[in-house]
Amino acid sequence: MNSQTATRTPSSRSRSLAAQRKMMDRFATVLSWCATFLVVFVLGSILWTLLKNGLPGLTAALFTRSMGAPGQGGGLANAIVGSLLQTGLAILLGAPAGLMTGIYLAEYGSTSRLARAVRFVSDMLLSAPSILIGLFIYMVLVAPLGHFSGFAGAVALAILAMPIMVRTTEDMLRLVPVAMREAGIALGAPKWRVILFICVRAARGGILTGVLLAIARVAGETAPLLFTSLGNSEWSLDMRRPMASLPVAIYQYAGSAYQDWMQQAWTGALLVTLGVLIINIVVRVGIRAGRT
Amino acid sequence: MDGTSQQPAQTMVKQRHQSTMTGDPLFKGLVLTTGIGVLLVLGAIITVMAVGGIPAFKAFGPGFLFSAAWNPVSQHFGAAAPVFGTLASSAIGLIIAIPLSFGTAFWLTALAPPALSSVIGMAVQLLAAVPSIIFGMWGFFVLVPPMAHYVQPTARHLFGHVPGLSALVSGAPFGTGLLTAGLILAIMIMPSITAVMRDVFVSMPTVLRESAYGLGATRWEVMRQVVLPWSRHGVVGGIVLGMGRAMGETMAVTFVIGDSNHIGWSLFAPSNTIASLIALEFPESPAGSLKLASLMALGAILMAISFITLWCSRVLLVRSESQAGKR
Amino acid sequence: MNGQAMNSTMQAEPLDTNTAQATPLAIQVRNLDFYYGKSRALHGISLDFPERSVTGMIGPSGCGKSTLLRVLNRMYDLYPGQKATGEVLYDGQNILAPGVDLNQLRSRIGMVFQKPTPFPMSIYDNIAFGIRLHERVGRSEMDGRVEDALRRVALWPEVKDRLQASATALSGGQQQRLCIARTIATRPEVILLDEPTSALDPVSTARIEELLDELKTEFTIAIVTHNMQQAARCADQVAFFYLGELVEVDSTARMFTTPRESRTQDYITGRFG
Repeated sequence: MNSQTATRTPSSRSRSLAAQRKMMDRFATVLSWCATFLVVFVLGSILWTLLKNGLPGLTAALFTRSMGAPGQGGGLANAIVGSLLQTGLAILLGAPAGLMTGIYLAEYGSTSRLARAVRFVSDMLLSAPSILIGLFIYMVLVAPLGHFSGFAGAVALAILAMPIMVRTTEDMLRLVPVAMREAGIALGAPKWRVILFICVRAARGGILTGVLLAIARVAGETAPLLFTSLGNSEWSLDMRRPMASLPVAIYQYAGSAYQDWMQQAWTGALLVTLGVLIINIVVRVGIRAGRT
Repeated sequence: MDGTSQQPAQTMVKQRHQSTMTGDPLFKGLVLTTGIGVLLVLGAIITVMAVGGIPAFKAFGPGFLFSAAWNPVSQHFGAAAPVFGTLASSAIGLIIAIPLSFGTAFWLTALAPPALSSVIGMAVQLLAAVPSIIFGMWGFFVLVPPMAHYVQPTARHLFGHVPGLSALVSGAPFGTGLLTAGLILAIMIMPSITAVMRDVFVSMPTVLRESAYGLGATRWEVMRQVVLPWSRHGVVGGIVLGMGRAMGETMAVTFVIGDSNHIGWSLFAPSNTIASLIALEFPESPAGSLKLASLMALGAILMAISFITLWCSRVLLVRSESQAGKR
Repeated sequence: MNGQAMNSTMQAEPLDTNTAQATPLAIQVRNLDFYYGKSRALHGISLDFPERSVTGMIGPSGCGKSTLLRVLNRMYDLYPGQKATGEVLYDGQNILAPGVDLNQLRSRIGMVFQKPTPFPMSIYDNIAFGIRLHERVGRSEMDGRVEDALRRVALWPEVKDRLQASATALSGGQQQRLCIARTIATRPEVILLDEPTSALDPVSTARIEELLDELKTEFTIAIVTHNMQQAARCADQVAFFYLGELVEVDSTARMFTTPRESRTQDYITGRFG
């Protein structure tokens, strides 16, 4: 190779560098595909396992009978209803608190010190270990009253649900255009009316999204219920007594050696997962549709 | 000011119904109170844990932190083993989750065809929504058997005679243990880390990315040398957030950790985390017992560790957000 | 307005002191200064708004005309750090003084914004919202008030069959007329309009301008506009603002034919802004 051609074509050294760079890019690309594939594979595996093991147990008796001893042909009716009741009460308790805190952060606090502290603590609670919430409610509600109760379970779930709603409420209220607020104020409406009847209304889709996500989050929670509502194998709608829930029932049954209990644990797991995932899909598809 | 302007404000009222100014302070007071209520909830949680744990700290002193004992018969309890298990399982989880999340986030933001990206992005978010008890069951019934039959025997076969590595793979092949717990944790925290990474990658100004491509950089080089340095606060914040979540995870870990208070090098040895120990031991802890106090003390420790972690992640993420806002 | 009409207005109003005496004043602004934090946005403004007439406010962007408008209904109160000194006399009272009931004030001085701001509710409720704030009104009276307001802005024929439909589904021009209807439904005395047609197409703009002509028989109107032709068409008097100062105020005819200040001349003939 003479000097003239060397200036026109890349030297062998820079050519090997280019090849090396290309190799590196290929390598990273392949690994990245693998990582993504693995993640999707795991989700698929979870769903497949649940469907394969859970579907055979999907009978009418599951929804009509309460939990029973092994071999007695019990169902999960009381656990399903218990979960609905506790989740429902948790949202009833947590939503007003979450909504109002979100309103405070978006409309009044904005950058004040107190508001920053509240936002920070709410974010902490969002990721706090849920079992500690259960322990906390045990100490303040169960131990002093002397008995486990569905109400205590609902309060524990409410503490978990609230921060999600705080977050979404604040974010959604911030998206409401300033002009909308000013138009309300310009009519002579007091600020609280503008917030409640115009801003919250304008943001209602997003706020509802937060409530749904909160439902999805707490409906599958097990740890905070272990020491609060405890579980109950009998039919009971009394929030003052121990109450069954689907996740706790799954936990009890999944660790057992009985064939029918195992079957019910799988079917229960399938129900919880489908419920939670369907809510999530509806919410996310809804958000995407709302954006376009 | 002339004479007329001295008149009281009430002249404004005319025939309309009275002043509407009282509603505002009332409403502001209400939302402010709920906001402060959120602060109080966290304060109460911290207080209850700390107060509940006092008998254990009194009985064992600082030795509580360093003792690996957990013996209800002799009434000796220590935090060292579950704290070790918590840190070790989370660390394993992170080591696995970081490349997995990074790879997925890289794929979602730089490699994926747009249509596929949104579908897979959604699938990743759905993985985050799966209740933790489901991960526990799946781990126990799907992951544990191959761990026992293939992974550990293979690992022992390969590394069992290598000095230094043999300790990592020793022990009976139960299938449950630190590594299995770490794997489950990795899968569970991976979606949230991926979500944070994807958000910070996307928030980088397109001009920066395009000028790097304009210089002839490959996609990997753009990611490695432009995007990653630019978004490092957010990336680290997301990882630390994942760590905070991993340490507090209960149900999934309880299924696969093996329930044994034990400190050791083996990745396959059964262990316990603070959360799993509380979940398993609490039902057998009578009120007022030293065991319950020890569990509360463990709860206080877990809270301290996870709150410090979450606080760090929050600081990093806020810094990353303000950086994205500035440029 | 054609040239002839302009001439006749000029002859009818030989001196501005005479006009001030002839029509009572709705709002008097005296020595008004306005601050965004530390930066001063208005310098010693004094301006009269005669009753039942249209005052147009023109000037380049950032000249303070919108700021003045937002002082008149104390909209700036929403934002900490903004403050006004001086006097704004309305109904014999300084509205900048502490203790003024702002909600009452704003119900008497209504405002229409640059972009239409329909509330996220039905057409009917958009109108009823403002009325309910200040008065207790029975069902049938409310129906009448809503219909009346919609008729005034010539929206009634277009929406009478879908009063319960969402207001956000209306076209931009319809939305803006709805917002004007919403404002007049609360029966204010003054209406402030902040570039009400800048987001609208020419046809919708023309309809709003016609509407202003009718409304001024009953309301005092202050309109901020970027559009010189619009000021010439709609306003009875025009105020020209530049860099936070009121340069000149005069009857529309004189302002556009023989302005006193060279800066006004320059702006009107398009040399800046």
